[in-house]
Amino acid sequence: MKNGEKLVIVGCSGSGGPAAMLAKKLMPEVDITVIRKEEFFIVR
Amino acid sequence: MAGLATGQSIVVADKMLESAGIKVVQDEVTKVDPVNKTVTVAEGRVFSYDKLFLATGASAIMPPIEGKDLAGVMTLRGLPDAEKIKSYIAERNAVNIVFIGAGFISMEVASLLVENMERKLNVSIVEFMNRPLPLMLDKDMADVVQAYLEEKGLKIFTGEKAEKIVGNGKVDGVLLGSGKKLDADLVFINVGARANVELAEQIGLEMGRFGIKVNKYQETSNPDILAGGDCVEKINFITKKPTPGRLRGPAVMQGRLAAKRLAGYDIEFPGVLDAGGCKMFDMTVSATGFSEERAAEEGFQSVCATVDSRSKHVMIPGMKPWKIKLIFDKKTRKLIGGQIVSHAVAPAKEIDAVTAFILAGKTIEELTTFTCACNPDISSEPSAEPITVAAEQALQKLKL
Ligand SMILES: Cc1cc2nc3c(=O)[nH]c(=O)nc-3n(C[C@H](O)[C@H](O)[C@H](O)COP(=O)(O)OP(=O)(O)OC[C@H]3O[C@@H](n4cnc5c(N)ncnc54)[C@H](O)[C@@H]3O)c2cc1C
Repeated sequence: MKNGEKLVIVGCSGSGGPAAMLAKKLMPEVDITVIRKEEFFIVR
Repeated sequence: MAGLATGQSIVVADKMLESAGIKVVQDEVTKVDPVNKTVTVAEGRVFSYDKLFLATGASAIMPPIEGKDLAGVMTLRGLPDAEKIKSYIAERNAVNIVFIGAGFISMEVASLLVENMERKLNVSIVEFMNRPLPLMLDKDMADVVQAYLEEKGLKIFTGEKAEKIVGNGKVDGVLLGSGKKLDADLVFINVGARANVELAEQIGLEMGRFGIKVNKYQETSNPDILAGGDCVEKINFITKKPTPGRLRGPAVMQGRLAAKRLAGYDIEFPGVLDAGGCKMFDMTVSATGFSEERAAEEGFQSVCATVDSRSKHVMIPGMKPWKIKLIFDKKTRKLIGGQIVSHAVAPAKEIDAVTAFILAGKTIEELTTFTCACNPDISSEPSAEPITVAAEQALQKLKL
């Protein structure tokens, strides 16, 4: 992805959370939004 | 569920994501427009994307059993469910608890409840197959687990079907196929999960039998949409056939792989082996690859070996026994599965070595020379190192 592009992630538990964290680390200039429906993401 | 950790302490904190510079929105995505590349949430906001990653997970299956809508019939997926179950048990002073399905979630929750409740519970587990943990263990290994759990007070009914949940407004029992009736203040159903694919279907993404179809880079049939975790269909590493593979390891790795793909890496996901673990009281079970039974179903002729070992050298106080079963493909002599039943936690993680050997295509002969890190306090004597001993036994069996 190029700098300034937008990544949207739906769900933030097992897969979405790690995807968001690593994507930000590898592509700091990409605009990342995580959307999840629950109040909390369980860590399991 | 056990009350050993607070709800807050086991969730991914928004703060962690936000302090990394990630925006967090708490809402349900109700629509994806793949042409204009936008997602819409329930309260109406619209977010545009260049790339979308779907990680919508799975939901517990509620089988079409009569009585499933009675108060006190529950499933467990996330923290809110766990809290609901706990408060139901406390408010109703529930004593008789029936689990339907003896998979790892039922077995862990059942043992945690018995271990952590002050009052004595009457816990029954009903399983259609002939053993507990049927997706992880063969009967010979599961028998050891069943005997241990029965000693701890769990009642395990194998080869039994829950025909009907009975009660008047709220549950008071479960009728089994054999005609037996189990008293129940709470029924906990754990018979599997189904991928959450509503959004993917709405977008028109290609679907597989077990979820969204993705390639080895987590890309879906839409080049701007990737997906990972429980909502996607996995590929079994050994057979290369589609499989559900709904476990946390693949979910995390697929999420991170998708991030790498978006950053320009070409790393492929190797497929899954369904490696997993389960702790019940002081017994830990772990498994990877195929069981002997599953190997046969997949058309493999297998050669198996089961070895008893110990967590420490025999003279060290606190030594605990453990057992490993390895399954090899007779034709290629390659390792294709392993199961561990252990009275100490640490040996159960030796399953990761088994996974690594399967991924590396190791054969019986190669494993006969495997040497472990050895120390009186942390391992068996090298002569009792069970992976090597199991490989030697398999070698002998092939000669016969
Ligand atoms: C009780 C229990 C115990 C488990 N224990 C283990 C274990 O010991 N080891 C193991 O390997 N696996 C375990 N698992 C399985 C493991 O939790 C899952 O494989 C893993 O969480 C999958 O991660 P995921 O991100 O794909 O899905 P999930 O963790 O289910 O996350 C999906 C998220 O997406 C959100 N979402 C879905 N649709 C939308 C939408 N339209 N809009 C916004 N958000 C949405 C959901 O609310 C959810 O938060 C366990 C599962 C359960 C239920």
